[in-house]
Amino acid sequence: MFIKRLPAFEYHTPSSVEEALDLMEKHGNNGKYIAGGTDLLIAMKKREAVPDHLISLGGIESLKGITPDDKGVRIGALTTLAEIERSEIIGKQYLPLRDAVGVMASIQVRNLATIGGNLCSAVPSADSAPPLMALDASVKLEGPEGERTVPLETFFTGPKSSILKNREVLTEISIPKPHPVSSGCYLKLMRRHAMDLALVGVAACLKLDSERKVCKEARITLGAVAPTPIRVPEVEAELVNKEIDEAVAEEAAQIAGSECRPISDLRASLDYRCDAVTVLTKRAVIETLKRITG
Amino acid sequence: MKNYRVVGKSVERTDARVKVTGSARYAGDLLAPGMLHGKLLRSPTAHARILNIDTSKARAMPGVMAVITGKDFPGIPFGTRPDIRDQLPMPITKVHHFGEGVAAVAAVDEDTAEAALDLIEVDYEELPAVVTARDALAPDAPFVNEFKNSNVAYFSDFAFGDVDKGFKEADHIREETFSSQRVTVGFVEPHACLAEVDANGRVLLQGSKQSPYITWRHMCRALDIPLSGMRIINPFVGGGFSGKHDPFDVDFAAVKLAQVTGKPVKIVLNYDEVLAAYRQRNAMDARLKIGVKKNGAITALWAENILEGGPITGIGAFNIYYFGAFLNIPYKIPALEYHGKLVYSNRAPCGTVRGQEIVLAQFCIDSLLHMIGEDIGVDQVELRAINAVPDNWTCANGIKVDVSGLSECIEKSAEKVGWKESRTSKPEGRGIGFSCASHPSGPRLGGHFGSAVMLKLLENGQVIITQGATEIGQGSNTVFCQMAAEELGLPFEDILQGASDSDTTIFDSGMFGDRATYWDGNATIAAAEDLKKQLAEIVAPSLKANPEDIEFADKRVFVREAPERGIDWLSAVRKAYYEKGAPLYGRGTWAALDIDIVDWKTGRGNLVHGLDFIATAMEVQVDKETGTVDLIRAVHGDDAGQPINPAMLEGQVNGGSAQLTGHALWEESLYDAKGIALNPSWRDYKQPTAVDVPESQVEHVHTHDPYGPFGAKGAGEASSCSTLAAVANGIYDAVGVRIKDLPITAEKILDGLKAREEK
Repeated sequence: MFIKRLPAFEYHTPSSVEEALDLMEKHGNNGKYIAGGTDLLIAMKKREAVPDHLISLGGIESLKGITPDDKGVRIGALTTLAEIERSEIIGKQYLPLRDAVGVMASIQVRNLATIGGNLCSAVPSADSAPPLMALDASVKLEGPEGERTVPLETFFTGPKSSILKNREVLTEISIPKPHPVSSGCYLKLMRRHAMDLALVGVAACLKLDSERKVCKEARITLGAVAPTPIRVPEVEAELVNKEIDEAVAEEAAQIAGSECRPISDLRASLDYRCDAVTVLTKRAVIETLKRITG
Repeated sequence: MKNYRVVGKSVERTDARVKVTGSARYAGDLLAPGMLHGKLLRSPTAHARILNIDTSKARAMPGVMAVITGKDFPGIPFGTRPDIRDQLPMPITKVHHFGEGVAAVAAVDEDTAEAALDLIEVDYEELPAVVTARDALAPDAPFVNEFKNSNVAYFSDFAFGDVDKGFKEADHIREETFSSQRVTVGFVEPHACLAEVDANGRVLLQGSKQSPYITWRHMCRALDIPLSGMRIINPFVGGGFSGKHDPFDVDFAAVKLAQVTGKPVKIVLNYDEVLAAYRQRNAMDARLKIGVKKNGAITALWAENILEGGPITGIGAFNIYYFGAFLNIPYKIPALEYHGKLVYSNRAPCGTVRGQEIVLAQFCIDSLLHMIGEDIGVDQVELRAINAVPDNWTCANGIKVDVSGLSECIEKSAEKVGWKESRTSKPEGRGIGFSCASHPSGPRLGGHFGSAVMLKLLENGQVIITQGATEIGQGSNTVFCQMAAEELGLPFEDILQGASDSDTTIFDSGMFGDRATYWDGNATIAAAEDLKKQLAEIVAPSLKANPEDIEFADKRVFVREAPERGIDWLSAVRKAYYEKGAPLYGRGTWAALDIDIVDWKTGRGNLVHGLDFIATAMEVQVDKETGTVDLIRAVHGDDAGQPINPAMLEGQVNGGSAQLTGHALWEESLYDAKGIALNPSWRDYKQPTAVDVPESQVEHVHTHDPYGPFGAKGAGEASSCSTLAAVANGIYDAVGVRIKDLPITAEKILDGLKAREEK
């Protein structure tokens, strides 16, 4: 009913993923991985989660940092939102992600919260998910049975649930290198101007032809308006192979407004969220075009 | 105007450094030897009979030192006035709202205390919840408060002037309804206290209290101990805004647990408890009718108002009068009729919030005035200027205005915000809204009402000031140090702030209604005069002068007509201490004796002095596609008399306005149909952040109040009163959507825009 103090737990500090997996193996169902803790500790104070063992991933150096390579960029799951916010390469080449981390929570929380943690919490309004999905990101999952890499698009299965198995750790997010004639953005609607959950989040990534006229590829994703962050292929189809202008963007945005499946809650009504999806989708498409054509 | 040395200067706050560096000690920081930790068990339901509370298992838990319930108190009800004593320290027969404390545990540590709560078994018999004013007034509604066989907690009905004639003479009449939501108070520090009992059974309470006097009186009554049986020391307080006047279950439980265990007991709340179960602002349903002449001059006003205030009357009895009383001002209203009711409900108990219910009255008046201006084609600024009260104005209900800078406030705010220019061209979605307001400098509520200040002269020449007013962040301590320094002819740094302790201070009747600067300021001047008089008598013979010819300035004591005949201040102090054996105190008291104790039910009388005035212009930008609002700029023309500390005054004006932008646009304490709080967390209760509030500009309009210290008036609440309507009117000016039910959410604006398109 009311927030309580943290329940008692044992705290483990492995220094490698293997060690973390072993610890989880040992403590069976009473253990939980903890990254930044900004979601988990609150859940524990609400007694929504009462693990006897917290296995901290914070001491595993291999899970940290932003590493560009010839395929794109790899972001360690334990990288904080603040580190991403300050990253030069993210700020230059992966604009939707930069947009998102800049409007997440507060500066204090961004200093603690990790990108992997935001994905693993799997709340429908998670701000990092729509931009990463629009950027075609993949996530690497390591577990007792080995590792697998899956497109982020297939990661979420419902509110607060994902394909992540009990003992698996999300270790890395990789984003392919963007095409030279492409860009993207993330727009978030909140009740106030900062420190708020998304009522609606829209990410767009567009690739144009070499003339910078015709849209060759579009990825549009929505947050907070369905049980999981969603990609909307119907909207993308409306944009591809067209010279995008206000009218085309408007048409696509209308489809987004009708494709979303939000709920009514105390933060906003279903109707308002659908209207906002339309508005933000159009704005995201136009803003992305501007970013490409300068 | 007199040339002051310390008054009128933006000196550094006395508490600035300790607060900024984190070394100021608040109630939650306090420790005492052998201290126990207390926790409260809270009601999971809004309305239920308490059939039984079994605490035996909790008592048996190792580490638990005591468990108490409402039955451990004497069962004596308390309340703001003798006719409205309808509260108990903790409930005995029934719970009245979600989150009400029903039992409390003291244990060796917080974890144990919390775990023990789970072992307390309470049998409830659920009752239908009275959630809204409509529920409360339904013919078959269950009674909320066990001390009253009615859900009408209080009422106020009055009529002044010839209202029928006023409306007959009007060229245009408009009537509208308005409503306002439940909002929390919004201080930073949650409720907290440390209670101890000494070997003689005397209680010491150190809590986060805004008005220690009110806490002291009510607690001693309900605990059935004499006033001398309790001492209160106020630590630093992290904001009050009228949410910390009276004692709460927290305070009562800590004291009772300390009495039972003989050990100090500390209780510190989490903020979700504060949001769910402690003081909020009354919800309002009001209907207003205003008649005007062709030029916009108001001829009459009629109003009906229902405030829903939770299960206790509290200060609500005053709120319901205040709403009506301040319909009389800041505009000239020759005739006025008012019918107000305060009703009980099963939501969190209301006190009031900054600006009191003038905030709501002014939202109604200035919103309606804007509509009327549009109807009759009179410019919004002219409309307010025509109706602005002047100097020496007596309102229909008897409130007397001595000095009004309102016309100049209106002029300045309009000019600085660029009102005229905006009428010929403004960006799409941009608008400017106006509202004025007036707020008094400390009303007299009955009972103890004077202010007292003591100046203790140290033998090194410095002075320690203690006063009845409480520093709650508003800066009053700094202001009194400035005033004492000015009067004694000493540098600001030579006045030190003493403790706020009921053993050495006579507490003020409460920190409400912008009274501190005005009342304690005057008492400070009186205390300084008293100290100077005593020193003058000691020094005068050696200067071969009469005591009444002695002057104090620039750290010297000298003969007024012959300034070269004098000694320095320290020599004078030593003369007192070392030659005359006279360590000195200066004592001063002040009270406005020529104001009335108004009967809240009938409303006539001059309640106050020192009416301050404000005109707020709010520039807003509305996103027509999402309905979201950006507050661009707030320009306040503000008449607070003589500013004592201009930087702090601006802080008060800006802060009062910023706080109410949340009420206007984002904040709402939500409840379900059973009265359960839905959003008691900062995640879903949305106060404005630094990036949400507008850029602010304060235009000081200097006036000289004939009763105020150095001509000052109170200052902290007028801008709260002028903000709601300024925002609402700005949004209307921007996009033509009139929202009369607060908060003005983006969704409501978007719905309004859609409705306009459909027309």
